[in-house]
Amino acid sequence: MTDIALRAGRTPRVRRGALTRGRGLAGLVLVGAVIAAGVLAPLLAPYAPQQQIPGANLLGPSGRHLFGTDEVNRDVFSRVLYGLRIDLGICLVAVPCGALVGGLAGLLASRTAVADVVAQRVFDVLLAFPPIILGIAIAAVTGVGALPVICVVVGAEVPLFGRLVRTSVLKVRELPYVDAAETMGASWPWVLRKHVVPNILDALIVQLAISASGAVFIDSAMNFIGIGVRPPTPSLGGVLAAAMGQLGTNTLYAVGPLLFIVVLVLGFQLIAQALLASRRGDA
Amino acid sequence: MGALLRIANLNVRFPGATAVENVDLELRRDEVLAVVGESGSGKSVTALAVMGLLPRSAAVSGSVVLDGREILGLPEDELRRVRGARIALVFQEPSTALNPVERVGWQIGEVLRAHGVASRRERAARTAGLLEQVGIPPERARDHPHRFSGGQKQRIVLALALAADPDVLIADEPTTALDVTVQAEILGLLRDLRRDRRLAVLLITHNMGVVADLADRVAVMRDGRVLETQDVEGLFSSPRTEYAERLLAAVPRLEAHDRPTRLTKTDEPVFAAENIVVDHPGRPAALDRITLSVAPGEVLGLVGESGSGKTTLGRVAVGRLRAASGTVRLFGRDPAGLGRAELRALRRRIGVVHQDPAASLDPRRTVLDSVTEPLDVHGVGTRAERVARAHALLDQVALRPEHGDRLPRELSGGQRQRVALARALALEPDLLLADEPTSALDVSVQAAVLDLFTELQDRHGFACVFISHDLAVVNRVADRVAVLRDGRLVELGPARDVLTRPSALYTRTLVDSVPVPDPVAQRSRRGPDLEVPA
Repeated sequence: MTDIALRAGRTPRVRRGALTRGRGLAGLVLVGAVIAAGVLAPLLAPYAPQQQIPGANLLGPSGRHLFGTDEVNRDVFSRVLYGLRIDLGICLVAVPCGALVGGLAGLLASRTAVADVVAQRVFDVLLAFPPIILGIAIAAVTGVGALPVICVVVGAEVPLFGRLVRTSVLKVRELPYVDAAETMGASWPWVLRKHVVPNILDALIVQLAISASGAVFIDSAMNFIGIGVRPPTPSLGGVLAAAMGQLGTNTLYAVGPLLFIVVLVLGFQLIAQALLASRRGDA
Repeated sequence: MGALLRIANLNVRFPGATAVENVDLELRRDEVLAVVGESGSGKSVTALAVMGLLPRSAAVSGSVVLDGREILGLPEDELRRVRGARIALVFQEPSTALNPVERVGWQIGEVLRAHGVASRRERAARTAGLLEQVGIPPERARDHPHRFSGGQKQRIVLALALAADPDVLIADEPTTALDVTVQAEILGLLRDLRRDRRLAVLLITHNMGVVADLADRVAVMRDGRVLETQDVEGLFSSPRTEYAERLLAAVPRLEAHDRPTRLTKTDEPVFAAENIVVDHPGRPAALDRITLSVAPGEVLGLVGESGSGKTTLGRVAVGRLRAASGTVRLFGRDPAGLGRAELRALRRRIGVVHQDPAASLDPRRTVLDSVTEPLDVHGVGTRAERVARAHALLDQVALRPEHGDRLPRELSGGQRQRVALARALALEPDLLLADEPTSALDVSVQAAVLDLFTELQDRHGFACVFISHDLAVVNRVADRVAVLRDGRLVELGPARDVLTRPSALYTRTLVDSVPVPDPVAQRSRRGPDLEVPA
């Protein structure tokens, strides 16, 4: 799919325009800053995430400990940065997986009536489960860890991308230029490659940005309730959960990880909105 | 008698564009003034400016005087008393002008209530009277809009417009969305209403036949300006401006004309159908026992009103739709019995041109990409050869090579349709399906595209199934004409016989319903009983 996106050439120009000013730029800067913080964690973090600092029990924020320390004398800022790496990793794996599986299911559904019914009912079932309940069910089978989180995010994305691809393909297929191509003998893969994919790519990219923000949210919530990444390995949701008991002593213990979650979700939302707005103006 | 509505020095500017410039128009009582022009000429914007219905982004200046009172720039609440009560508006599309969830009687009553008819009983009585006047049985006031046909809906819209007893009726393309026989009815109704109520009608239209049928005076607009205003007879017999002359010359006419026959009876037909039936479950047959054939090099015109099955038949003819029964032969073979490779080979000999030039080209591909697509699909020659061929095709449809690098949205409607033609002809097809190829185009553009079509057909000699609801267009291009109605073949024969001396009653009704773009001839065709008193 990326191959076609690159070759379509003209279309990314519109999108790049949307991301170089206003909302789009703001979103890109926010997301970029958070990703950079995660990637550069070993350089930025003053302590190792598990390192217990003698005498630093539940300290408030200071120059040495940006977000203070936790109840077992660890530096919260360092734990948040390392936790970020894990959360970003989960989203980076899960969202494209969900998009790919969902997109293929949607394509299949647009081909035959039987596949359509089967895929649509599967989507219904997936959508009927609240992600958290789905996560608990999966964790009961696989045990806690990153895997159930990835499964839940994929499970939440599949119906969204499936439905989007299915309806977009059905819509594009009805258009006269596709009819013209088929009448003169173009095969289905040809039509798909030359007409359908380029014309639904915009919608897919917008959905990717929306899904990324949703994934950050689901992932954090799963880690928060403790069916995700197992402590002492840090994650944003995990740090936040541990902080709940210490709100009175070190407020930034909870606000720190929350800040990163909010900035990430907001950034992806801004990007999605900017892309959507430019698409509407384009049409 | 002085003017009832006087538009003077009207200017409308949108950010970045001037839509209407220095427009002066006068409308007298008991008069139909037609405003004609092609898309973008500013005729609808003028009407909306009179009603005060333009969006806020429009800057309007000048003067609109109704019965001695300036109405341009009136505050909204005063304007509301003018709208409906003094000036009413009828739009093009009757199906969107009515609220689908309310009964039509309620909708008319609503207008009456807005204009101060408080008593429920009086509203009901007035509603019944209005419906009767537009030819709808009053008891149908209790029906919802979906229970009515398109023509009936337009009648109800007229009743709605007349509810508050306006002096001026602005009708913006009131018959454009209707079939030709229904159009004739609505035109008759408009004529009666105007006579009975001494209405002043501002008729906005692009159809010269409608102008000839209804108008007393005509204003010709182009690019936001009024080029000339004169009596309808005067305009048609001696237009003062060159543009009006060209516009009139571009109107296709239903006169017999001789074109060299290209039929070679002995050849095997490219498409032959025998007793074919196509049906959709639960509905009447879309095609009912149709038998016809298309000879090599022949242009077969398919005419009929909406729902007659002409598009369905066209799709069968290019092998895109299977018949439920009967035999279909495409280049001598039954497309239903062919394998994938054979079908592909067959499709190579077929081209299509669709109605809507905006949707018939992929918005993300350049013109050159679109024109080379058929060659790419069938892997004809090298890339360089294909590009060279595409440039030759663009040249044939009178486009320049630099058009090849443009995207469809950078072209006009007529140019897009030329590109669609070039794409359809890329593989030198033996059969072309043209489904309403000019219906979305302006008259002068339509004339140019039809000329181009005839020229290309002469040069390449392809057979063509040419679908159109416009008899005059078909008359211009077709060798033979098939008339369809409700999925049945009503008449089939040489174009000049079918269109000028029809033998079937339905065809005669169809031909008689087409208003002739000549006011004198149209008046005599209409007959004395419909004559408007002078």
